[in-house]
Amino acid sequence: MSAGELPHAGAITAWRAVVAAVGVVLLLAGVGFFLTDVRPADYPGVVSWLLGAIVLHDGLAAMAVFVVTVVVRRTRGIPFAVLAVVQSAVAAAVIVTVVVAPEIVKQAIGTANPSILPLDYARNLLIVHAGIAIVAAVTIAVILAVRRRATRAAR
Amino acid sequence: MHVTWRLQRLLHQFRHALATPSRNARTAVVLGRLLGIAFVVCFATGLYSHALQDPAPWMTFPTRPSWLYQASQGVHITAGLVCLPLLFAKLYAVFPQLFQTPPVRSVAHLVERASIALFVGASLVQITIGLLNTYQFYGLFPFSFRHVHFALSFVVVGSLAIHIAVKLPIIARYWRRRDAYDADGRLRETESPSDPDHPFGAPDELQRRTGSRPESGVTGRLFAWIDRAPAPEPPDERAIVSRRGFFAAVGVAAGVLVAFTAGQSFRALDGINLLAPRKNGVGPQSLPVNRTAKAADVEESAMDPDWTLTVANRGTVRSFAYAELAALPHHDAWLPIACVEGWSQYAAWRGPRLRDLLDAVGAPEDARVRITSLQQHGSYGVTEMTPEFARDELTLVALQLDGEPLDLDHGYPARIIAPARPGVLQTKWLAKLEVI
Repeated sequence: MSAGELPHAGAITAWRAVVAAVGVVLLLAGVGFFLTDVRPADYPGVVSWLLGAIVLHDGLAAMAVFVVTVVVRRTRGIPFAVLAVVQSAVAAAVIVTVVVAPEIVKQAIGTANPSILPLDYARNLLIVHAGIAIVAAVTIAVILAVRRRATRAAR
Repeated sequence: MHVTWRLQRLLHQFRHALATPSRNARTAVVLGRLLGIAFVVCFATGLYSHALQDPAPWMTFPTRPSWLYQASQGVHITAGLVCLPLLFAKLYAVFPQLFQTPPVRSVAHLVERASIALFVGASLVQITIGLLNTYQFYGLFPFSFRHVHFALSFVVVGSLAIHIAVKLPIIARYWRRRDAYDADGRLRETESPSDPDHPFGAPDELQRRTGSRPESGVTGRLFAWIDRAPAPEPPDERAIVSRRGFFAAVGVAAGVLVAFTAGQSFRALDGINLLAPRKNGVGPQSLPVNRTAKAADVEESAMDPDWTLTVANRGTVRSFAYAELAALPHHDAWLPIACVEGWSQYAAWRGPRLRDLLDAVGAPEDARVRITSLQQHGSYGVTEMTPEFARDELTLVALQLDGEPLDLDHGYPARIIAPARPGVLQTKWLAKLEVI
């Protein structure tokens, strides 16, 4: 079945036109605000950030994830569900680290007053990492216990 | 021509190697839905804050509930933070599309790919600079945060709408789970026959077009090595586990981020606020501060014993010394300081009502008020207040915070405090109030 055969294909075509028109208006408004509100001296900075974001994400971060998944795929002898739990935990820990790392750096550089970035973020990040590790370990233990019981019941 | 085929072979091999159970149209639709909601929530709450700070002449705003602004910006920052794992996951799910073959099929296809590049770049930048702004890490921006964040928000939401319009048939096709997967958990494909990359899936065809065996050359051998351990595919149960694991990772990441940061905006989570840039109860008089008296360069003028507050309505001008303000009838207001950066905290404020001072100079009911601070520099030294806030019974010229005179960093000798207003408009170190 293709999209053209959907019973409400006519409605979809109409909605596409409306949503696309709204999108074009908003996009043009955004470009307009760039031209009126943002200083021309800032344009190179904005463009380099836009290009830099794509290069950093697609070229570096996504490729690194690709390499990791290929390596993990070749791992033998570890139950698949356990690998999935470890992968989830690592992904969550990496994202939290990505969020908190600039916070730690900015705190080290110094803030405008002591009520900005007042916590011990490095220590707290370690606590969160430990929490994620404990939850992952418990989940893995439960998975392995269930598997063992299932294997015993099958005998 | 030969080079073109070799490039297409490389792209095809990449796409093939990137295939995993969680990278399909259904997961893209599920994540896209959540991300779309988060983007629209951020856009709406951001526009609300922008309108309050820069109101058009015809605008009026609700002054109740008093936590309205606090909640809107808490949601803005929290939803923005959740966008990060959602966006990473969405880009992960559609990453093989980056290697589609041929890279450009037509002018329309080129426009579509360029618009997606803009959408992805703008979304990544928007979320990143928003996050860095909550850390006040301005040193990293070679541009004005406020103006770029505002303009980019329209670019992102506009691109989102265009993206939805382009993909609407696929979105509709995979909207419901039962339409997307068969009983074994296999994706019900619709695209394959028209997919230009499809012929490359047949091993002989790849060899016929490129003139070399698929596993020849450095990349061919590398991809052949990768292919020896392919990702599981349904009905293999591991594929379902892989897909669920993927969504679990996104959920855990989003949950952890919210749980350990949202306490700066939502009191219930204050106890586990481990990672937010602000902490309730930390600051002078146990309340966080953005701009200190030193940073605003008002330490001398604010401590001047001859300080007076000037209230003006055209020809009628009155000056109030601190002792005269203190002798006026006082009122209490339990109101939050709520920052556009997401943090907020309630406090007990005390002082004369703004409307009583305005009445003292015979200001009309519908008067807009210009509020001038002792602060000479910075964007918020002079602000304007619309009549619904100026006339509100909770809007005070506060002299006290939690039963004590204001700390110098909280605006001594007197500051504005009004319900449902951005913190930057709660002008500190008052010098003058004028009817416009």
